[in-house]
Amino acid sequence: MTIHCDNFDDLLLEGDTFSMQIAAKHAKDCASCAEKLASWNEISETARGMHVSWENEMLWPRIKRALGAEKQRSRSHVWQIAAALLIFAVLGGLTWRAQERARKFDDVIMREAALEKVEQTEKEHIAAINNLEKMAQPRLSDPSSPLLVSYKEKLMLLDDAIAECQTNIDRNRQNAHLRRQLLAIYTEKQRTLQEVLREESHASNQ
Amino acid sequence: MAGVAAALMAMPRITTNDDLRLAKGCAEGDTTIFEEIYRDHSDRMKSIAYNHLGNVSDAEDAVQETFLKVHRAASTYNGESAFTTWMYRVLINTCYDALRRRLRRIQEAPIDDVLTFERAGASVDDAKRMTLRKMLGELPEQRRTVFILFEVEGLSHAEIGRILNISEGNSKWILFATKKQLQEQWKNKS
Repeated sequence: MTIHCDNFDDLLLEGDTFSMQIAAKHAKDCASCAEKLASWNEISETARGMHVSWENEMLWPRIKRALGAEKQRSRSHVWQIAAALLIFAVLGGLTWRAQERARKFDDVIMREAALEKVEQTEKEHIAAINNLEKMAQPRLSDPSSPLLVSYKEKLMLLDDAIAECQTNIDRNRQNAHLRRQLLAIYTEKQRTLQEVLREESHASNQ
Repeated sequence: MAGVAAALMAMPRITTNDDLRLAKGCAEGDTTIFEEIYRDHSDRMKSIAYNHLGNVSDAEDAVQETFLKVHRAASTYNGESAFTTWMYRVLINTCYDALRRRLRRIQEAPIDDVLTFERAGASVDDAKRMTLRKMLGELPEQRRTVFILFEVEGLSHAEIGRILNISEGNSKWILFATKKQLQEQWKNKS
């Protein structure tokens, strides 16, 4: 196989035994390439001598100790992570519980406040109706017409219903249905008393 | 050198059960597995580290650091390459880290040729080796590593490619370019 100086680098690039044999063959007849090949091979030869080998009986025990320490460290690291997670979980649980308790407490306070407001309004409403009842009382104690007698009986029935409803509410303050029922009875009583007073003024006009 | 070549020939090219065994043992911190690796590979590992770092002490530190890194990262070994190939990659990266740390410290480590080494190729004199070592020290990391792995440690381009994550052809080209560069300097020095 004949090669030219231009292809010499291609052989060096390939670098396998066959290519190097061809390069050596060419170098025999080419001084310039021979010089190139000589320094090329000299570098390789020098490099091959750079493989170093030494014994250090302390190296393996040193590595073994370092590995042992590393293992120990990673084990304690796992425990540290586990402990941190546990603490985090406990703290999280306690915080959640405290928040839940505070929320429940707030709910109770708000419910109580709302209930007190309703009761206060009811009291004012009842006081106004009682005031109305006082105004109608002279006429009702001595009814002058069958209509007034009928109003008096109706009011007595309404008072009985109010008393019964109030007893039930005292047993269960938060029962909204009973409160609505009581309000309806009071509204009916108010309407009846207004009709009694209207009847009274109508009679005095006549 | 013949022993090294034989060991290199034995270097597996694809992932085998043995690779998985080594990786599992290292991840679990099995000392017998590490001892086995040390027995089979420490000679070449020390030589590679020495030729990158230039002194015995740093080379031994790099080998120790490599074992620790292998222990820490063995569970992430994905079997893409042979376990030993992966381990040599860790070693070379450890050497690069050490060199960068040294550069940061701006301290030139002495070339340690005082110790008596059992060197192959006794025909080549120490002066030439020292010259070449100094020239290698001035090369970029990848060029130096390809040269050391091929010319000093006798690895094939395929093996170098797997260790450095480059193609076989690329490894061949880097070696050629490196030797051309060294040849110019070699001529001037001599």
